[in-house]
Amino acid sequence: MKRLAAILVIVLTGTLASAADPALLEKARAEKKAAFYANITAVEPILEAFGKAYGVSAEYTRVSTNKFVATVLTEHQAGKLLADVVQAPLPILDILKEKGVLASYRPAAMAGYPAWAARDEKIQLFGIEYVAPIYNKDLVKPADVPRKYEDLADPKWRGKIVMADPSTHATTISWLIGLKEKVFPSEEAWMAFVKGLAANQPMFVNSFGPTPAPVESGEKLIAISMPKYIITKAPAPLDWARVAQPLLGTPRAMALTAAAPHPHAARLFIDYWLSKEAMKIMAEKVGEYVLAPGVFPPIDGMDKARVEPIRELSDDEIRRWGGEFKKIFATP
Amino acid sequence: MSRAFTLSRIRPRPGPQGGLTWALIILVGFLTVCPVVMLVLGSFSTGLEAFGSLTLAKYIEAYTDPALAAIILNTVVFTVGSAAVATVLALFLAFLNTRTNIPFKSLFGIISIIPMMIPHILFCVSWALLLNPSNGLFNLLLRELGLSGAAVNIYSMPGMILVEGLLDLPIAYLILAPAMSAFDVSLEESSKVCGASNLRTLARVTLPVLRPAILAAFILVIVRSLASFAVPAVLGMPGRIYVLASHIYRIIATGFAADYGQAAAVGMSALSASIVLIVIYRRLTAAGEKFVTVTSRGYRPAVIDLKGARLPLCGCVGLISFVLIVLPVAVLFYVSLLPYSMVPSAKALGFMSWKNWLSVIRDPVSFLALKNSVVLGIGGASLGVVLSIFVAYIIVKVRTRAAGVLESLSFLSFSFPGIVIGVGFMWFFVLTPLYATIWALLIGYIATYLPYGIRPLTSAFVQIHSHLEESSRVCGAGTLLTLRRVVIPLLVPGIVSGWILMATMFVRELTLSVVLSRPGTEVIAVQILRYAEDGLWGRLSALGIIMIIISTALVAVASFIGRKFALTERG
Repeated sequence: MKRLAAILVIVLTGTLASAADPALLEKARAEKKAAFYANITAVEPILEAFGKAYGVSAEYTRVSTNKFVATVLTEHQAGKLLADVVQAPLPILDILKEKGVLASYRPAAMAGYPAWAARDEKIQLFGIEYVAPIYNKDLVKPADVPRKYEDLADPKWRGKIVMADPSTHATTISWLIGLKEKVFPSEEAWMAFVKGLAANQPMFVNSFGPTPAPVESGEKLIAISMPKYIITKAPAPLDWARVAQPLLGTPRAMALTAAAPHPHAARLFIDYWLSKEAMKIMAEKVGEYVLAPGVFPPIDGMDKARVEPIRELSDDEIRRWGGEFKKIFATP
Repeated sequence: MSRAFTLSRIRPRPGPQGGLTWALIILVGFLTVCPVVMLVLGSFSTGLEAFGSLTLAKYIEAYTDPALAAIILNTVVFTVGSAAVATVLALFLAFLNTRTNIPFKSLFGIISIIPMMIPHILFCVSWALLLNPSNGLFNLLLRELGLSGAAVNIYSMPGMILVEGLLDLPIAYLILAPAMSAFDVSLEESSKVCGASNLRTLARVTLPVLRPAILAAFILVIVRSLASFAVPAVLGMPGRIYVLASHIYRIIATGFAADYGQAAAVGMSALSASIVLIVIYRRLTAAGEKFVTVTSRGYRPAVIDLKGARLPLCGCVGLISFVLIVLPVAVLFYVSLLPYSMVPSAKALGFMSWKNWLSVIRDPVSFLALKNSVVLGIGGASLGVVLSIFVAYIIVKVRTRAAGVLESLSFLSFSFPGIVIGVGFMWFFVLTPLYATIWALLIGYIATYLPYGIRPLTSAFVQIHSHLEESSRVCGAGTLLTLRRVVIPLLVPGIVSGWILMATMFVRELTLSVVLSRPGTEVIAVQILRYAEDGLWGRLSALGIIMIIISTALVAVASFIGRKFALTERG
């Protein structure tokens, strides 16, 4: 079986290598590597497959989201940006685009993606950092599982929810605003939901990373978190609440940098990253929600879920709403 | 007071010591001032970078925040409380270890250093597993015993103080233990001759003489807990208790374009508080001569017979070590065997495997990271301690105002909240060819954690009488020879402490590493952060234990070399 898989990989990657533009491939090989800045989990298999397919290595530097803009801008302004390709939530790449860090590139591999994924001539969207209520399936009875977002405001969940701090965590703030704009019929209904959620006194952590652990251990029963943890934390008793409304999340974006030290290898890397094969690895190994047509994470029901991107919020808007949520959730 | 006297206090002494003072001020200043200057620039600049047009807006916004008063109050309670816990506990352990005939002495060194080796975020997580109000193991046990009213909530201010105090215990211990072991017995003997009991002698003679070391420990822990982020994040945030470090995190985290300039503006208050503390410390220990205990006459630390109290005290230490080492390390080990966080049960037992360990060991980056961390730990601590010996010597023995400047400089980067200082270093290093090299990490580590080397050494220097050096000079030896042949051998316990503090810190260093490390210069902490961001506590724990093993090996080697060196010199 393993051998068969290996042969398949060789055949597939062989096909890919031959599919790449020979002139680009030659120049990319001469550059030897593409440097990639991102904050994304377990993408090493994609980088390895890329190396095997083209003989060009992909060097991954993980930069935390809250240091991303600072790091890239500092290097860019000193003329020392080491990254050829950057990948981050869309609002970050928009800031970098404004500062002149990004270059134009329209990869052919975007064919078949939804039209909105090719955001502009510089930024390509390939996934959505989707958010959903995640619950402990050993401890929550099937009848109790939330069926709509409003259920999270039910007083029976008082003291049993964990979420990232809604006064600071940008993705959670954007998610709450997304619910207002895309899910709830009126602002009043939405506010009633937010106040109900606050009244349930959720436990705050600083980001999504620490949200699943308290649910796995039974310290809390529900997390406002990411369904991808069902894959990465298997066999933890986690499942996602199949809410009737759409799931929301911030788009994941990528772009070529303007002063890329390895511009050809970078283009080759972006082409590969957006290919169905790479996106399949990302969905299957990491549980990511990707935009490549027909590729879904192996999470029960996710192929039928409606997953929508949240409107991009400016930092001023995020801070203003963070301040509002701070009051509503009564944190000091 | 004559004008000549005043001037002589400002200027370094002429001659070799004056030159050394200036050389060190320039070197330490260069190491620590550069990143702070970048942060100061950033805090006064518009936009997100260090260089922008001048503005006061960041300060105005930061200091007119109505929530700030409550945060400052929390911060004072948190830092002073943690410093009290760490110092009292360290005094107790250091006294029993160096001055009494308590059994199992070798355990003490280990107990008091272990928290230094555990990544703080892990230590906090294991305490949350033990004492969270919903299903903390200890609280579940209380519930079983029908004592649910006694349940402890770790997500509270006392919980935060306890854990931060324990985490900072090694700092206090490693400053106090060398001072205690260099204690002149004749002072205590005189007290006893006058009829005072052991306890009275302790209260009236021993503790007052140790004042510089106690204050040094207390102040260093305050400064450290001011910059600490793990406890405020993991235990404070769920309890909605915010201190300065978590407040700064909120500034950075809210929104995608983190404004480190504004965070630095808030950080300036931590920096000013630290500088004030250093000045107070220098005032309180100004009459250095009072604290000298090792003169050229009859230096020998005495051992107090605990008699009947020997076993109860030993039990007490056993309990502390259980809480400090056995519990968190056992929790770490348990977590490292599980695929996900679960309360101990038959099901958990069935799930146990070495999977996390294997995936950590097989990760290709892990090996490189381990190698880099060990090299940085050994190399950085050795260079750092050499620099610290010179700096501590000037601070204690020269005592001019220039020496005061040097002492304050050594605290600059250290007292800045970690989340911000890393960016200060990045802003600085990107202007140099060292950016993205392992040298940037080495220099950054030494510059930031210099007080870990300097503090144990100053408290050791304080106790060595200048008669010893003067005798050496009379015999024709120069400054360097005097240092090498007379002073350093007496400093060995301080040197070992400083080296251990620095090496274990460098092995687990997170805040600078995440900003400065690049492919090829990965360190363990970067791996730790990856696992933490992905919520992979099992792998995080396995790597944490590997980290503890490496640090233990470094500590064992340092202590062995220290003992051997001391014996050769004495003998």
